[in-house]
Amino acid sequence: MIDMTNPKADPIGRVVATELKPSTPHQFYFWTSREAPVGIGTIVRVEDEARVVYGVVTEAFAYSDLMTPLHDVIGADGDPVLAGQLPTERAEIRLFLASVLRQQPEEPLQAVPLSSVYQADDADVVAALRMDLYTSGERPTAIPVGVYSAGGLEAPVYLDADFLLGPEAAHLSITGVSGLATKTSAVEFMLTSIFQTFPAHKGSVAAVCFNVKGSDLCFLDQPGDLTDEDRALYQRLGLTAEPFANVRYYAPFKPDGVNLNTLRTHADLAHNTEPLVWGLREVLDYAEVLLNRDDLDAKADAFIDFLGERVVGREYHDPSLRDAPFQVQTFADLEEFFRAIFDFMEALGRGEVWKTHHLATIRKVRNRLGNISTRSKGLVIDDGAVNDLPWGEFEDRSVLVVDVAGLDPLAQDLVFARVVSQLREHLERRDLGVDHVIVFVDELNKYAPADGPESYVRKMLLDLSERGRYLGLVLFSAQQFRSQVHRRVVGNAGTTLFGRMDMDELATPGYSTLSPAIKIKLATLPKGELMVRHPHFTQPIFVRFPRPAVMAGRDGVERFPPEPDLPFAKAIGRQLRQLGAKVNDDAVADRIDGRRESDVRQAVHATRRARPDEAWPFFLSCLGRVVEPEVVRPRRAIPSVMRHDDPYAP
Amino acid sequence: MPAVSTVGLRRLLGQRGLTPATWIPEASEGRAEEATIRPARLVEGEVVAAHPVGAAEPWPDPVAFLDGIQRYQIVGYLDAAPLVVARVAAAVRERSGPGCRPRLAVALERRLAIGRPEVLDRVADLFDGTQLIPLDDKVAGHPVREVQAARKVVDRERGALELEVGRQFRAKSDAWLVIDGALSEGIDWVSDPRMIGVVKSHSTLPFGGADQVTYLRTPYAHRSSVFAPATRSLAPVHSWALRLWPWEGEDLFHGLVRIETRAGDDTLSRVDQLSRWLLAERAPVSTPDPRWDRLLYGIHDVEVYLRARMGTR
Repeated sequence: MIDMTNPKADPIGRVVATELKPSTPHQFYFWTSREAPVGIGTIVRVEDEARVVYGVVTEAFAYSDLMTPLHDVIGADGDPVLAGQLPTERAEIRLFLASVLRQQPEEPLQAVPLSSVYQADDADVVAALRMDLYTSGERPTAIPVGVYSAGGLEAPVYLDADFLLGPEAAHLSITGVSGLATKTSAVEFMLTSIFQTFPAHKGSVAAVCFNVKGSDLCFLDQPGDLTDEDRALYQRLGLTAEPFANVRYYAPFKPDGVNLNTLRTHADLAHNTEPLVWGLREVLDYAEVLLNRDDLDAKADAFIDFLGERVVGREYHDPSLRDAPFQVQTFADLEEFFRAIFDFMEALGRGEVWKTHHLATIRKVRNRLGNISTRSKGLVIDDGAVNDLPWGEFEDRSVLVVDVAGLDPLAQDLVFARVVSQLREHLERRDLGVDHVIVFVDELNKYAPADGPESYVRKMLLDLSERGRYLGLVLFSAQQFRSQVHRRVVGNAGTTLFGRMDMDELATPGYSTLSPAIKIKLATLPKGELMVRHPHFTQPIFVRFPRPAVMAGRDGVERFPPEPDLPFAKAIGRQLRQLGAKVNDDAVADRIDGRRESDVRQAVHATRRARPDEAWPFFLSCLGRVVEPEVVRPRRAIPSVMRHDDPYAP
Repeated sequence: MPAVSTVGLRRLLGQRGLTPATWIPEASEGRAEEATIRPARLVEGEVVAAHPVGAAEPWPDPVAFLDGIQRYQIVGYLDAAPLVVARVAAAVRERSGPGCRPRLAVALERRLAIGRPEVLDRVADLFDGTQLIPLDDKVAGHPVREVQAARKVVDRERGALELEVGRQFRAKSDAWLVIDGALSEGIDWVSDPRMIGVVKSHSTLPFGGADQVTYLRTPYAHRSSVFAPATRSLAPVHSWALRLWPWEGEDLFHGLVRIETRAGDDTLSRVDQLSRWLLAERAPVSTPDPRWDRLLYGIHDVEVYLRARMGTR
C-alpha cells in the first residue's frame, strides 16, 4: 500500500534563515528554483545529519532585487513595453514559508536546521502526517480520505478511525459553498471509504442520512458515472468504486396519505423505498420539538407527561368524564378525551383546574398537539398505522436515508429529533444491531445555529457532538457557513473538511489561524479537492478525492423520473404492486370502493410489514369483509284480535 | 582562509603568541585609486567632441560579464606586526540571449594570509588551503605601511584571479565579455576583439583643460571622441566616455562610464554600435548599489553572486 522504497531524489530547495526571518521549531523558510513543483499545501522534508523535519507550505513569496518599484519605472523610462524588453532578467527568488508537521527526533525540540529541502515521497507523507501510528501494526485503523498530490506524487492520506468514529475523538464537519457538489460528494465518498475499510476489530457500522433538500441522497444504491481519473484514485486508495449495496429509503407520505413525499417514487426504486409514518405515540414523546419557546413551561410539560404516562396507549378510566374507559390511540381519540374534559368542566360550572392541571394549560397542549397531524400531515397519520426505521435490526454497512426534503421545517425537526434520540437510546442499550452509527445532516447551520433561541434539536445536537463518541453515535455534518453553526458543535468535530470557501466566511475569526495563501487557495479550490484537519495532522492538508461511485441526484431524477401523484385507489394499487401483488387498478378500485381510507391504509401497511408471498390475498384478508348494511323491512302489522261485538271492548 | 571561523582563528592565534585583533580597514572591498590626469592620445578627430550614439539597442548575441571582489581584515598582531587575511574571488556569468537571466560560467576564489615572514612562520599550519604571501622587508617596521602593502597584494591577486577566470571563459566561449574595469590589466584582454571594459571610476582622467570639460560634460546618450589612454602597463586600448543617464541635476559623473576595447582599426567603425548596446544595459537598474548609475546590471549580478558566496560577515 505504501511505497517505502522510493529512492531519495535531489533537493528542491534550501532552508534559509535571517535574523528577521529565523527558522523556528514551528516554521521555516526555504527557497527553490522557479520551476520547482512547490505550492501551497506541498509537503516537504528537511534533512540534516541528526534531524528530519517535515513541513507543509503555507505561504509563498517571490521578489527580485528591485529596491523600489520606482527603479523599475526609471529603468524602463516609464514605458511598460520597454520594461518587458530589458536585456537582463532580474535576479529573483521563490521563497516559501512552511509550517512544521513533525520533527524526528521529537525531543529535544529545536529550530529547523538550515539544510536541503526535498519533495516528500509516499513514506514522507506517512511520517509527516503521523499516519505510521495507525496505518500499520496489528490493529490498523486507517480510513482513506483522499490523495495528496504534488509534483507527480500521489500519496494516499488516511484518517484514524479511532478519531473519526470514536472513541478518542469523533464527528466530521464539512464546510463549503453550495453548488459545487463537494460537500455531499465528499460525505458519500467518506461513507464508501468507511464501509470498505472500517476495521473488523472496531465492530459494525451503519449510516443514517437525512436528505433535507433536493435529490442529493436519493440514488445511493445506483452506480454513477466515473472518469478514468476517478477510478485511478479509487485504486490508489485501495477502494472499490461501487454504489452502496444495502440502502433503505424512508419518506413520509404527502398530505393525501398515499403518495410518497420523495423524488424516489419510480417503480424500479420501490423495492427499498418505504413510507415513514408515525402516530400519536411516536410524536408525543417529542412534543417538545413542536412547542415553541413560549410554550415550554413546566405546567405544559407536566400535562404532556401525564398524557404520555397515563392516557395515550393505555386504558384510562375516569367516571367523572364518562362511564366507558378512554382508549386513546390516535389524534382523534385524543381530541375526544380533551372534549370530555372540557364538557365536564363546563358542566361543573366552577373552577378552572382539572386534576391539578389548569384549563388554560390543557387548552394550549390540546391546540399544539391537535395541530400536529395537520402541520406534519403525511408523516403523522391519524389512523394508528406506523412504519418506522428498523430499530434493533440495523445491519452492518447499511445506509438508511430518511428523505424529509418535502416536509415543512417543523416536521423535519420532529423527524430529526426522534430518529437521533432513538439511535441514542438503542446505542445506549446496545440493541440497535450495529456498534456505530453515522448520522449525516446537511445544512447543520439550520439545526444547530450559532445564534437564535434554544431549541430541542440544537440541544440534542450539542449532546450528540459532546457525548456521542462514547456511544458510537457519530455526526457527519455539512454546512455552507461554519461560522453560523454553534461553536460547540463544530468544535467537537474531530475531523474537519473544507471545500471551496466563500471569502466572507474566510474573513470570520474562526479562520484566523489560516495564512492568507491558504485562504486564497480555499477560495479557489477546484471540485474534488478538500482541505483536511485531523487530530494527527498538525497542519491542514489538501487532498483530492474521487467522485462518489453513486448516481448524482440530477442524473438519478432523469434516469428514474418520479411517478406522478395518483388518486387514492390507483395509489393503493401501485403500492400493492410494489409489494408484489399481481393486481390491476380496476380490481383494486372495485375492492376498496366504499371502504374507509383509513381502513385501506391500515391494510396496506399490514401487508408491507408482513411482506407475504401472496400480497393481494393478504391485503384483502387485512381489509376484511364488507359488512353490508342491513335494511330492516317493516313487517305487516298483526291484526287486532279485538272484535266489535266484544261487550268488554272500550 | 582556514576551515575555522574568524572567531576560532583568533582564538588559535592567541595560542600561538599573537594578539588577536579585529579590524576591517575602510574600503577593504575596493581597489586603491589616486586622482590624476594622464593625457591620452585622441584617435578620433582633432579635439574632444560629444557624439550622439542613437537609441539603445539590445545586445543581440550572448554576452558575459566578469567581475571580481576582495575582502581583507587584520586578525592579529605578533608584537606590532599585523597579520592580514583576505579572500579574493572572480566570476563570469553569461547571458545566453536578450531577456535571459545570467548563469554562472566560471568562478574562482582564493584565500590569502599576508604578513611578515616571521608572522607567517608562526601560524602557517593554521592556514590549510590558504596562500601565504610574505611582505617585503622594505615595508617592515611600520604597521600602517605593512597593511597598505598587504592591500596592494590583495589588489594584485584579485586582478590575477580576474585574468584567470577571463582566460578560462574565453577558452570555452567566444561570446562578448564585458568586464568591470579596464582592459589594460591583461595582455590577452587588449587583443580580444569581443571584450569590453567598462570603467566606473574617473580618478584618472584622460584630458585636462577644455577637452576635459567637454569629456566630462558628455550629454546623455552621447559618447566622447575615441582616444588611446596612456596606460601604465602592457598594450594600448581604445577608449571613450559614454553617458548612460542624464547628469543634469545630479553629479557631474552621474551615468558617465569609460569604455575600453581592443585598439584595432575596426573600433572606430563600431564604437556607436557598441555604445548603443551598452546604453541598453543601463536597465535593469542595479539598485540598491549606490553606483547604480554607472554599474551595469550584468556586472552587478556578478558582484551579488560573489558576495553571496563569500557571505556578509
